[in-house]
Amino acid sequence: MAVRVLIVEDNPVARSFLTRVVKESFSDALTITEAGDLESARRQIGPLGNVAAVADPFKLILVDLELPDGNGMELLAELGQYPATKIVTTLYSDDDHLFPALQCGADGYLLKEDRFEVLVEELQKIVRGQPPLSPAIARRLLTHFRSGSSGSGVVTTDPIPLSTGFQSSRPVPMGRGAPLDHERLTPRESEVLTYLSKGFTIKEIASLMGIKWFTVNDHIKSIYKKLNVSSRAEAAVLASKQGLV
Amino acid sequence: MAQEGAAEPLRSPGTGNTWPGGRSSPTWTGLPTNLPDSVLDAGWNERTDDTPNDRHWKGQRLALLILLALIGVLVVAMTIRALADTPRIAAQWRIDSLGRIELAASSDPALGAHIGQALTGVMGPGDAVALPDTLALQRTPRWVVQDADRERQQATQLLLVNALASQSVRLFFADGSKLQLQPAPRGLAALPVATWLLGGIALALYMMAVLVVLRSASARNLVYAAMALCQAGNLLLMAAEIALEFGLPVPLLRWGMPLHMAFDLFTAAAMVTATCLHPRRLPGSGWIALCAWGAAIVLVAMFSAGALPSAWWWIQITVILVGGVGIGLLSWSYQIEPHPFAIVLRQFGIVTTTTWALLTIALAASDGLRSVPHNIADTGAAIWYVYLAALLLLVPFLARSQNVLREFALLAAVGTVAISLYLLFVAVFTLGQLPALTLSLFVSLGVYSAVRQWILSQLIGSSVLTTERMFEQLYRIAREVEARPERVPTLLSQLLSDLFEPLEVKVGDLRTRRSRVAGDGSSMLIPVPVLGGEESTPTQSILIRFAQRGRRLFTAEDARLTDRVVEQLRRAVHFDKAVEQGRHEERLRIAQDLHDDIGARLLTLMYKAQSPEMEDYVRHTLQDLKTLTRGLAASNHQLSHAAAEWKSDLSHRLTAAHVELKWVFEFDVDILLTVVHWSALTRILRELVSNAIAHSQAQQLEIDFRLLNDRLELTITDDGVGQDPHAWSHGLGLGGVRKRVKQLGGEVEWREVQPQGIRCRVVIRDLSARWQL
Repeated sequence: MAVRVLIVEDNPVARSFLTRVVKESFSDALTITEAGDLESARRQIGPLGNVAAVADPFKLILVDLELPDGNGMELLAELGQYPATKIVTTLYSDDDHLFPALQCGADGYLLKEDRFEVLVEELQKIVRGQPPLSPAIARRLLTHFRSGSSGSGVVTTDPIPLSTGFQSSRPVPMGRGAPLDHERLTPRESEVLTYLSKGFTIKEIASLMGIKWFTVNDHIKSIYKKLNVSSRAEAAVLASKQGLV
Repeated sequence: MAQEGAAEPLRSPGTGNTWPGGRSSPTWTGLPTNLPDSVLDAGWNERTDDTPNDRHWKGQRLALLILLALIGVLVVAMTIRALADTPRIAAQWRIDSLGRIELAASSDPALGAHIGQALTGVMGPGDAVALPDTLALQRTPRWVVQDADRERQQATQLLLVNALASQSVRLFFADGSKLQLQPAPRGLAALPVATWLLGGIALALYMMAVLVVLRSASARNLVYAAMALCQAGNLLLMAAEIALEFGLPVPLLRWGMPLHMAFDLFTAAAMVTATCLHPRRLPGSGWIALCAWGAAIVLVAMFSAGALPSAWWWIQITVILVGGVGIGLLSWSYQIEPHPFAIVLRQFGIVTTTTWALLTIALAASDGLRSVPHNIADTGAAIWYVYLAALLLLVPFLARSQNVLREFALLAAVGTVAISLYLLFVAVFTLGQLPALTLSLFVSLGVYSAVRQWILSQLIGSSVLTTERMFEQLYRIAREVEARPERVPTLLSQLLSDLFEPLEVKVGDLRTRRSRVAGDGSSMLIPVPVLGGEESTPTQSILIRFAQRGRRLFTAEDARLTDRVVEQLRRAVHFDKAVEQGRHEERLRIAQDLHDDIGARLLTLMYKAQSPEMEDYVRHTLQDLKTLTRGLAASNHQLSHAAAEWKSDLSHRLTAAHVELKWVFEFDVDILLTVVHWSALTRILRELVSNAIAHSQAQQLEIDFRLLNDRLELTITDDGVGQDPHAWSHGLGLGGVRKRVKQLGGEVEWREVQPQGIRCRVVIRDLSARWQL
């Protein structure tokens, strides 16, 4: 049975380009569905009430952030329980745009201006469970988890700078109350994040920490998951806000 | 002398004291004896709570104040009442050209017939009084220079009193005519204005003395009160003397001279004591004060015992000497501590002593001259005393601007000068009365404007900072404050230093709501405003002391000015913030538009590119656009953060191109890169790496970035096939690198390295020199 893939992208040229990238990346038989906006994407996905009941769900969903009728993050937030690999495709490479997307449950991101081969490689990595993590996002993650774990119930009222878009490296205080276990990073994960934030590659981190590169990768995956879990509720709020902006 | 604060241990020094009226004002009289070196002690805080004990004392003080005020009013009222009841001849007298007493005007029709006649004698039921000269018109014995004259005057006055006390007197005129008259009390309405005026001033001085002492009975306050009370006594005596033409009452005749003398000498002694205590306690102040008081008491005692010949001279010279000592003490005090109050007091002291000396010389010179009217001595002296009284009333408020009182005091001083000069011109230069009057008026007006300027310069000061410069500084500070809010106290201190040139500037954790003058005008306390943030109470204050290098007092106007300056600063910061916010939003909007519109089009163009070269070209353009928009949106980038992204980005690209990256990054300070620096360095690095990937066929690329001592050195070395870089044609890419390096004020060169490859070296010597590009 063919693997179902959904590509949500308003630019037809980019859509066909991404289709090529997806086809090149996987040897399986693929059924690629394309959607030009959020509305048609939702139609394609169908009701989300009982995900398990969906007979043949999409395995892979590529979502553009800037869509004519809203922001891709809204869709990501809605797809919280959907059992697909969700990837953000965007032109924005700064953490102010990407970090909220990751919080909304994206499993990785692709920068649309990358070369075809690079995109193929990146897409394969994400599906294999090796998502990218830029230094800026690593820094944001560190701040996020640090404020989460040292939050001690202090509710900060700083607005999250979503509308200000491009600003980088501004800490987003997300900590609310005492963190749960799955919201806390292990020392190893923190270490990996710290190295990443300083611009080290995964190979370099592996040799620095004396571990295998795929172990580093496991840590990154785990960080993604924790981010996803810890901020799912807030991400939904974020996404709806972003949609209004 | 009682130590300050001993009587009232709860009282905090300086600014915490309140006048009974409830005003909180630092005054001359309320200052602690020894201002602590660390002036930022608790005493400078505004006092918010009163202990119950304090309130009790306040109530008592209020009752006492009312009682004493009533007594004062009663004494003055009784004096005036007694004056109104004293029998007199209802006539006004003047001195004619021959130095005789001439009838000037009268409401009595019988006397009216004799207007213009000279009075030669008065006869009562007992003795006849001959009036050969105008001595009888001189009301007070205090201003008769010769002892003999004074005795004669007293004897004449005594006879006149007896004559006037009887039912009828006979007046003899120079033309031989006689007149029988009945002396009668004049009643309150007929009292001269001068009497009311002097009585009023005397009462005011008395009240001031009472207030000051009740506020706190410290040594200096007592000394001040002594001076004020003595002068109040003097003025009251003069009020009585001025009301009576002929015939001073017996008590006045008997006690007038000793009382005047005692008042004058005690005032002088108290003045010396005051200068010993204020603005700071001088070493040996006890002995100096003791000497002054001792001399005064001995002189008064000797005179009372009749053992002091040439008493007038003794008084005058003693006062001059004591005044000189006071001026000297103030100079000394200023050398020990540059309290501007010492200078102001010294200036007033010089004016006071000089006018006194001038008056003395003028009276001595004109003594015995027939052409000079004797009673002008009374007037000159009275004006001098009014000046002194005004000064005494003014002193507690020097720091608050009491313009009217100050001008009044100066005018009174000049009045003394004018009369003294008039007497001198007539006596010494034998000028006619009219030229002498004119000349003396002119000279004294000149003196007035000079002295006024001289004294006011201490109180108001020349504007050290032009308005223009101040505004410039204000806006410069506003901009700097915006970037670094923690520097507000430092920057504000700087501004205040330029504005007032104080000797001391301190920042302390004191709370004050608004600027206020403290320590008697020597200091000013300014709240450090919380700029930028929400409106909240300031927690810090700046204390500046000794304005204009200790040559000027702070006034209430200075405090108001400072408050306005701070307010302007607050507004400027607010305005700058709003402008910056607006600019930021505008830039963000432009960046967003550029990114969304142009970016999407470039992306489409890239996907549709006909050749890989075209695709790469568009990709670079797209990346440049992203750098540009990011630069527009972000303000500053920390060097370490930027470096991490550079490394991550470059290794990403080099890995894709199968080139190994060797990355060395060193810096001594993790500076904040401005947008210009960040985007220039980002594009230089990207271009050089792109160039290496595209042309060198290198296996390895070594990037070495060092920022040490503000010197940036960036080398990018490949091991590729490139040769002879001088022969390269610098297309868009490398040309762009050159342009950007030059923009940052640096140099770039390409060289071949052994065994193979090209090294590009970028050196920027003073990276932060073009910080504000």
